[in-house]
Amino acid sequence: MVEKKKATTKKTDTKKQEVKKETSKQVPAPAVGSTTKQEARVGVFLCHCGTNIAGSMDLMAVQEYASTIPNVAYVDNYQYMCSTPGQGKIEKAIKDHKLTGIVVAACTPRLHEPTFRTATKEGGLNPFRFEMANIRDQNSWVHMHDREGSTEKAKDAVRIAVAKAALLQDLYPKSVPVEKAAMVVGAGVAGMQAALDLAYAGIKTYLIESSPTIGGRMSQLDKTFPTLDCSQCILTPKMVDVGRAENIELMTYSEVDSVEGYIGNFDVTIRKKARGVLTPKEAEARGLVGGGCNGCGDCDAVCPVVKPNVFEIGMKPRKAIYIYHPQVVPLIYTIDFDSCIKCGLCVTACGPEKRAIDLESKDEFIKVKVGTAILATGYDIFPIEKKEEWGYKRYENVITSLEFERLICASGPTGGHLVRPSDGQTPKRVAFVLCAGSRDNTGIGKPYCSRFCCMYSLKHAHQIIEKIPGAIPYLFYMDIRSFGKMYEEFYYRIQDEGAKFIRGRVANILEDKETKNLHVMTDDTLLDRPIDMEVDLVVLASAIQPSDDTNRTRKLFGVSCSMDGWLLEAHPKLNPCGTTTAGVFLAGVCQGPKDIPDTVASAEGAASAASIPIHMGQVELEPYFATCIEEKCAGCGMCVNLCPYSALSLVEKDGRTVMQVTEAKCKGCGTCGGFCPGGAIWMNHFATPQIVAQIDAFLLGGEQ
Amino acid sequence: MSENGAKHKFAFYLGCIAPNRYPGCEAASIKAMKKLGVELVPLKGASCCPAPGAFGSIDLNVFYAMAARNLVLAEQMNMDIALLCNGCYKSIWEVNHKLKHNKDLRDGVNEVLKEIDMEYKGTINVYHTAELLYNDKFVGVDKIRDSVTNPLTGARIAVHYGCHLTKPHKDREFEKEVMSNTEHPTWMEELVAAVGATPVEYRNKMQCCGAGGGVRGYDIVHSLDITNEKLINLKEEKVDALTDICPFCQLQFDRGQIEIQEKFGVSYGLPVLHFAELLGLAQGMSPQDLGLDLHAISCEPFLQKVL
Repeated sequence: MVEKKKATTKKTDTKKQEVKKETSKQVPAPAVGSTTKQEARVGVFLCHCGTNIAGSMDLMAVQEYASTIPNVAYVDNYQYMCSTPGQGKIEKAIKDHKLTGIVVAACTPRLHEPTFRTATKEGGLNPFRFEMANIRDQNSWVHMHDREGSTEKAKDAVRIAVAKAALLQDLYPKSVPVEKAAMVVGAGVAGMQAALDLAYAGIKTYLIESSPTIGGRMSQLDKTFPTLDCSQCILTPKMVDVGRAENIELMTYSEVDSVEGYIGNFDVTIRKKARGVLTPKEAEARGLVGGGCNGCGDCDAVCPVVKPNVFEIGMKPRKAIYIYHPQVVPLIYTIDFDSCIKCGLCVTACGPEKRAIDLESKDEFIKVKVGTAILATGYDIFPIEKKEEWGYKRYENVITSLEFERLICASGPTGGHLVRPSDGQTPKRVAFVLCAGSRDNTGIGKPYCSRFCCMYSLKHAHQIIEKIPGAIPYLFYMDIRSFGKMYEEFYYRIQDEGAKFIRGRVANILEDKETKNLHVMTDDTLLDRPIDMEVDLVVLASAIQPSDDTNRTRKLFGVSCSMDGWLLEAHPKLNPCGTTTAGVFLAGVCQGPKDIPDTVASAEGAASAASIPIHMGQVELEPYFATCIEEKCAGCGMCVNLCPYSALSLVEKDGRTVMQVTEAKCKGCGTCGGFCPGGAIWMNHFATPQIVAQIDAFLLGGEQ
Repeated sequence: MSENGAKHKFAFYLGCIAPNRYPGCEAASIKAMKKLGVELVPLKGASCCPAPGAFGSIDLNVFYAMAARNLVLAEQMNMDIALLCNGCYKSIWEVNHKLKHNKDLRDGVNEVLKEIDMEYKGTINVYHTAELLYNDKFVGVDKIRDSVTNPLTGARIAVHYGCHLTKPHKDREFEKEVMSNTEHPTWMEELVAAVGATPVEYRNKMQCCGAGGGVRGYDIVHSLDITNEKLINLKEEKVDALTDICPFCQLQFDRGQIEIQEKFGVSYGLPVLHFAELLGLAQGMSPQDLGLDLHAISCEPFLQKVL
């Protein structure tokens, strides 16, 4: 810890001229906020945060010390500085003591910087004349048992903050207009709901979906828990609404190709993949009035190429020209050009009136401008064959839950008859392996809970009891997580219906070579005995993971992901739909596993958040941007290449080349300012003299 | 790793069971590996690894210190260690790994080693010979196939991997680099195919032999029960021999068959060979050179088929 020498100045008479010490090095010439040289009078406010701070340090000693720091004109403390009386203290002190800067030593600026800036503003100062010293999260909480050490550290933090506060300047946020349009990436139930909410709120919304139809995972499900609604039945009306909504511009079989700009003004390029089939609208644009695909399927009937249908997880064939299922939106066929042999039979079948098929179609790039964007990129099934012990893809009668959904679904490949893949027989004994690859710390599966597998496995158990007389479902589980509304009740119901629950993680599954039956090996941890159970079919409730394209898409929008790959929200509790990139929001499972109700709720939250800047019409940008000190700038342009946000450019001014900042693009990262060889870049709010003063305050321990 | 032309040189750690019960594995390893460009130099003065179950579950300090001593001997030779037993691999590889990554543990061990003027430095790696054989950075399947003069054609051979080499998965680096998985690996089957035999899959092949973890020492009947289950599964496939890469597993399957006969009254007569012994046979070594006559279960029926 740095040794301190107490300054001799007293609390009330800091009108000494020491103020000039650091500022004398360089007089900044910022574009905005430059005030006439004025003596700094800093007010310091110490927060007890109940016992969070006051319980771990001697706050009175910190107060006494603070009063001796140069430029400090007023010191006070309060139980909760963030409370209304606490804020009132700041406002009153600014007026009574003619303060020029405010320091609050409390929690983190992430939490209360806006609160105290407002109080500073209410007191009559520019809100950017506020500086926060974090003496809680980085001090009292981590040094809970070192009272002396944390007290000394708090003194340092306050001294450093005062050093900066003495040099703070007035700053004024810039406003930029917001384009009255939004984009939603991914048209599963989350993306559809978000797009519908935005559209109904009067906002033009581009809904981008990479597959040929909207509907996502939910459209692959048979029934939903715990209500046992038919998934398609409740989803298709929404799909139709999306297809018809006036404000939604639906772009299926399309991907986001590039994103430029910032909140309010994102320029997005969309790649419309070559579909080979014209919509009626596209046909009309080509002069084929009354033409275009009407979904009749004549092409499908003649196409000679057969491929597995990914919507049915390969359990049903499709042609090279295909739709996923009869309820697709939009009802437009798609040609899989990777397998199309261009025989032209479909063109003939489509006929001279529709002329919907264009075998030479190419990817198109479309540019749109939007104010905000929502990512709803969803999930994929974890490749459960990686958990070799369960033999998926090795044993025919081991399937995943999503395959089960298709097999039990009336519109699925077997017309809703659950059969064993090996022999087409109806299984009587079905084992469900829960947490298959979830809550897995072996390094192969996923450490997190996939959050809906317990519930859909209960539903699966119900479905086989209902559909197959005499069938017994065996659920191998760690614990059943039935946390939602009416979920626990559903769990009891399935128990009463006769499902068998065995608490134990499945160690191994073996196949009987002759019968293709499976032996599920586990330890029944309630009865404390090993189990070898012979069953006809095993269903793995496989973990989920972010969908394939998530990583590429998130990078385009500058969104981070957490360690587990799910997209990172701005705050896990208080801002779950926002991201750290202004104007970009998250909906549904791309942020983390969610069941359908939570997904829809999250989508509505994201839509609401994304509509706010659009309805406001303009957004304020933090005034932390870089400024070029033109007389110092040599126009070398090195900063231009360094800027990660493409915010800088070179311009001709008075016959010289100088750098110019596009303030709306600048994030104030400081890369250019730190690099500039001529010191010609002034970083607002993080100016060199301010930072140097902070470093000096720390290293010199208050010594002048 | 010290290289000498195209040659790899390793300090060869023998362990206890190989030299005492199955000297053939030791001889076969040294001779067969030499033909494949790997020189195994005896690690003189080595002690027991020590056995992971017997020592590791009683006193970890003794376990770490003893294994560290063996490691230091190899460090002094400036050579990586090669060994031929899964149990030794578990002890020596794992202790090496832990000591390299945990300073407190390393300091503690070095304090003990100081008494015999030794210091663990963490300068070498540890390999299983099976790993060297499979990994083409050292040998590789192709090279093995080329070295075969007496292909074991027609022999149906099942593989026992043994637990300690492959588990725990998240700690085993060689697996991540070389093999695809722990739960259903097939790389040893590739080795069996390389010596000309037919690898045979059988039910529950990744099951334990029954010996490890101190089970054999603590509860022989239980231990043999596990072995018996494996033997039943092997019998179903009508295999000519079982191959392993661990002398302790080999002891359990070979000697264990006699014990099973005594205790349960069932006999299998299944020859059990360390892969080094198989490789030796395929490279033309005689059964006598390989000490196959020292096995508890006669290898004759198998030998008649392949020689």
